[in-house]
Amino acid sequence: MRWREKGSKIWVVSRGILPLFLFLGLTAGVAWSDNSMCLGCHQDESLKKQDARGKSTSLFVSETGFKNSVHGSLSCSDCHTRIKDDAHAEGGKKAADRRVDCEVCHEKAAKEYQQGLHSKMIMKGTERAAYCNDCHGKHNILPSKDPKSMTNVANIAKTCERCHSDVEFVKAHALGAAIPKEEFKRSVHGQTGDVTCINCHGSHSLRSLIDPKSTIFRSNIPQTCGSCHSEITKEFIESVHGVLAARGRADSPTCTTCHGIHGIKAKIDPDSPVNERRIAKTTCPQCHAAERISKEYALTASQVKSYYDTFHGLSYRGGDTYSANCASCHGVHDIRSASDPKSMIYKDNLQKTCGSCHPGASENFAKGKMHSVASISGEDFGEKVVGWVRIVYILLIVGVIGGLTFFNFMDWLRRTIDRAH
Amino acid sequence: MTKKYLRMTLNERFQHLNLFINFTILVITGFALSYSTAFWVSPISDLPLGMTFRGFLHRLCGVATVTLGGYHLLYLAFTARGRGIIKDMIPGLKDAKDLWETLKNNLYINRPAKELKMPRFNFREKLEYLGLIWGTIVMTVTGFILWFKTEWLQFFPMWTWDVARAIHFYEAILATLTIIVWHFYSVIFNPDVYPMSWAWITGNLTEHEMKEEHGLELEKIKAQEKGELKEFGEAAAVGGGRVYPLPVSRERPFSLRRLVGSVKDLNETMKDWKGV
Repeated sequence: MRWREKGSKIWVVSRGILPLFLFLGLTAGVAWSDNSMCLGCHQDESLKKQDARGKSTSLFVSETGFKNSVHGSLSCSDCHTRIKDDAHAEGGKKAADRRVDCEVCHEKAAKEYQQGLHSKMIMKGTERAAYCNDCHGKHNILPSKDPKSMTNVANIAKTCERCHSDVEFVKAHALGAAIPKEEFKRSVHGQTGDVTCINCHGSHSLRSLIDPKSTIFRSNIPQTCGSCHSEITKEFIESVHGVLAARGRADSPTCTTCHGIHGIKAKIDPDSPVNERRIAKTTCPQCHAAERISKEYALTASQVKSYYDTFHGLSYRGGDTYSANCASCHGVHDIRSASDPKSMIYKDNLQKTCGSCHPGASENFAKGKMHSVASISGEDFGEKVVGWVRIVYILLIVGVIGGLTFFNFMDWLRRTIDRAH
Repeated sequence: MTKKYLRMTLNERFQHLNLFINFTILVITGFALSYSTAFWVSPISDLPLGMTFRGFLHRLCGVATVTLGGYHLLYLAFTARGRGIIKDMIPGLKDAKDLWETLKNNLYINRPAKELKMPRFNFREKLEYLGLIWGTIVMTVTGFILWFKTEWLQFFPMWTWDVARAIHFYEAILATLTIIVWHFYSVIFNPDVYPMSWAWITGNLTEHEMKEEHGLELEKIKAQEKGELKEFGEAAAVGGGRVYPLPVSRERPFSLRRLVGSVKDLNETMKDWKGV
């Protein structure tokens, strides 16, 4: 603990020199440019003050920390512009206005910050809203390129998590849900090491989820993701989902609906919602088997159920990944309506779509209803026939098996009784 | 030791074993698709490529069953015993009467119970055998439609394939339940044969079993045996491919005297032999 030894030395020295400087300062009436004057007192680790509520705040400033910081060449009073009041130094008793105005130098960042969510929270008087120093630190601010900096790409997640993974904080500030710690770190983005919170949320100008200018506002999400995944966004915004999402349909999916949010996993990860084992089990059915959405858009509610009843669906549910799932026929990001000539399931494209798994699929192969539900009152002729076949067979099974069971049961009964006598 | 009557030749027992194995695998691998999330499917679905293997195995056993069916047809057509089976398998009015009387016996409508004398294949067996043929034809046709969908759908609309799929599924349920309810009763749960009729392994029925299930046939055999004794040489052909009695004394203990006697007999015969 070198600084402590050093500090104590200075403490001793300051006892003698301090009054002299004080005197000089008073007479000269200028701001102190030498930090040793301030550090003389604030070097003391035990220097504390009690605020109005009786909460104790440390007033300690590490000299080495400050010297190594990006602001190391500045003097205390460059930032602490409100402590010009010389009375502060007199015995260090008087409470000083220690507020710092970063805006004086960092004009652009401050302007962005003023528009952002964190500053708004300040205006609403939230207790622990993020000030500059909450993310950047105080005296020990390091340039973002420094691996030790709080705002280095490797540390930002940790910096944000101090508040946003804190369940108590999140509850107190009504932020919805706390982001589980390490959730992002384990995600495919977290593991690259190049992507972090600010890439999607923005930094100074970070905005609320409900702010239409926010990068994470519903209809802006494709653009936000597209800043890296531009080709996919291009495909998506033309898809039926993308068009509806752009028009503000809250129930139309955007990137995060299928891929997840903070914990996005690679497609091959079995936990990923877009893993081929899950896509037709949970990901598409989360909307397409939901009554609310089927009703609103007048979709037939039976797409998922009818798929599950086909050979494709039955085999898929048994874990067969060669069997077609939703995306095999409908596409992934560029899903389009069946009436769209560019759609994979447009009537002229079906032969090609089926043919990608069934080589030699004829023109006739691609005709006929796919998501059919057997029912004697069905719209399709085939559905009716299958419905009748089912009824006839069920009657046959019940009749035949019931008859055979009855016959054999009586036979068994008589033989058993005969043997008993 | 009771007299035994040959019911199934070794060839027929192998056919039965073949069908037994293939049918069981077909049932398991088939319903493993229809109920792919059921707990008992997990040994298949948890395997990597399990469902792909399931499909392969199902088709393999399907082909094996069809091949067996083809062999059985040849067996019926080109062996004397096979032709005899066809002749005895044709259902007649007697079978309907037998069924009706059995039911009346069982419901205690006939008091006292009428003693029924049933032929070589009684109404139970005829029903089951003909049902098996029907089921095999249906399953083969629909199964091949499902398998060769690309070829089928060149000429027929999609809904015909859907119909084939529905039939294949419901016929499978019908067939499986029939085996469990009808066949397993006849050969396992019937109190007179429980724990099992051993004919599918040993090939034989006991005289008691013959009397119970095939009284008419037993009388016929006995009459024939008498006839054989009376008119030696004429009715010698082994029951015209019918069920025939086995020699009783197979397990005579070895005796040196008998062996010497046999060799003497052989020598006598050779001495008098005058060539063909």
